[in-house]
Amino acid sequence: MKEIVKFAVVLCLVMMIAAVALSYVHSLARPRILAQQQKDLMAGLIAVLPGSELGVITSHPSGYYTGYASKDSSDLIGHAFPVVSRGYSSDIRTLVGLDTAGVILSVKILFQQETPGLGTRIEETRRGESEPWFQNQFRGKSIEEIRLDKDGGPIQGITGATITSKAVTDGVRIGLRRFQESVNAAIQNISE
Amino acid sequence: MSVGKLFGKGIVSDNPVFRLLLGLCPVLATSTSVFNAIGMGVSVIFVLLCSNILVSSIRHFIPQKIRIPIYICIIATFVTIVDMVLAGFMPELHKSLGMFIKLIVVNCIILGRAEAFASRNNPFHAIIDALGMGIGFTLAMIAVATFREILGNGTWFGMPVLGTSFEPVLLMILSPGAFFTIGLITGFLNWLDHRKRIPHAVLNG
Repeated sequence: MKEIVKFAVVLCLVMMIAAVALSYVHSLARPRILAQQQKDLMAGLIAVLPGSELGVITSHPSGYYTGYASKDSSDLIGHAFPVVSRGYSSDIRTLVGLDTAGVILSVKILFQQETPGLGTRIEETRRGESEPWFQNQFRGKSIEEIRLDKDGGPIQGITGATITSKAVTDGVRIGLRRFQESVNAAIQNISE
Repeated sequence: MSVGKLFGKGIVSDNPVFRLLLGLCPVLATSTSVFNAIGMGVSVIFVLLCSNILVSSIRHFIPQKIRIPIYICIIATFVTIVDMVLAGFMPELHKSLGMFIKLIVVNCIILGRAEAFASRNNPFHAIIDALGMGIGFTLAMIAVATFREILGNGTWFGMPVLGTSFEPVLLMILSPGAFFTIGLITGFLNWLDHRKRIPHAVLNG
């Protein structure tokens, strides 16, 4: 009986020390992690809305972004919206950039922790090319065309990583549909 | 045991992957390319070093019967701290190592060394043991990854080695390839060992 109490006390102490250490490191690292995520988001937005690095990017309360080529918000480049889809082993965060006509300019993976060597190839850049080939396939595709080859579409999936490829492809399509619907609703609201 | 011998033990005679068959889960998962193998190896060396030092320095205060949960708590704490520090202060490194760090919690080499070595030896020897075991693990990972990346992807450390006419054997990148490679290398090493031992036994007998 006495032994059990002693064990409980010792274990409790160890866990408390661990918890204090963790919360201390967390309090130091948290602001920097958030700042880093914000920086990654801005870099991603500039990548999917080319030209916006000289202008401004504004964010909308409904969760999308608008990029302008000049500081006074006159030359509209297009809109961008984030997509989160469940991959094989992580939540994949993707940014989709659209031009003023709503055609996909660029797709960029912001965050993923998929299987090294398989799912992580969604960010792979082939030798001799400057941009990741998987994400590049989305450029200029209409909403009906955003389907994986296994589902009868033109987007070529990654061998051995069908779940990851499908998660990104379906995520982009669903995100695009949702964005179009919200924009259409907004236009209707204005005209009514 | 001399320091050199202690260090070499983890690399050759007690190699964690090919001899002790410990930590196979992360080996299967991350030996798909040499780059990943090195990333995982470096992360393991770091966490193993921290946990061995800590376990060894508090070994007299840990009650025997509850040592395992305490070790697990120590290891999980270190892994989480490393993950947060890298994410906050070294974001570039975290991008390439981030996915390996969480896998270290399930790496039984760390717990194995805490239990079998660090809990019975002084911190200095625990450091040597951690370095030997960690480097042995890294070298084994690189060996497995070399076969898998060359056969499964036609590249080594990202550099093409087998030319464009080579059709990659996808199976080698998938999990079965890891089992084949680890099994064949372990078998080969056992065979070498066996051959070395038999004439010896005959001579002495």
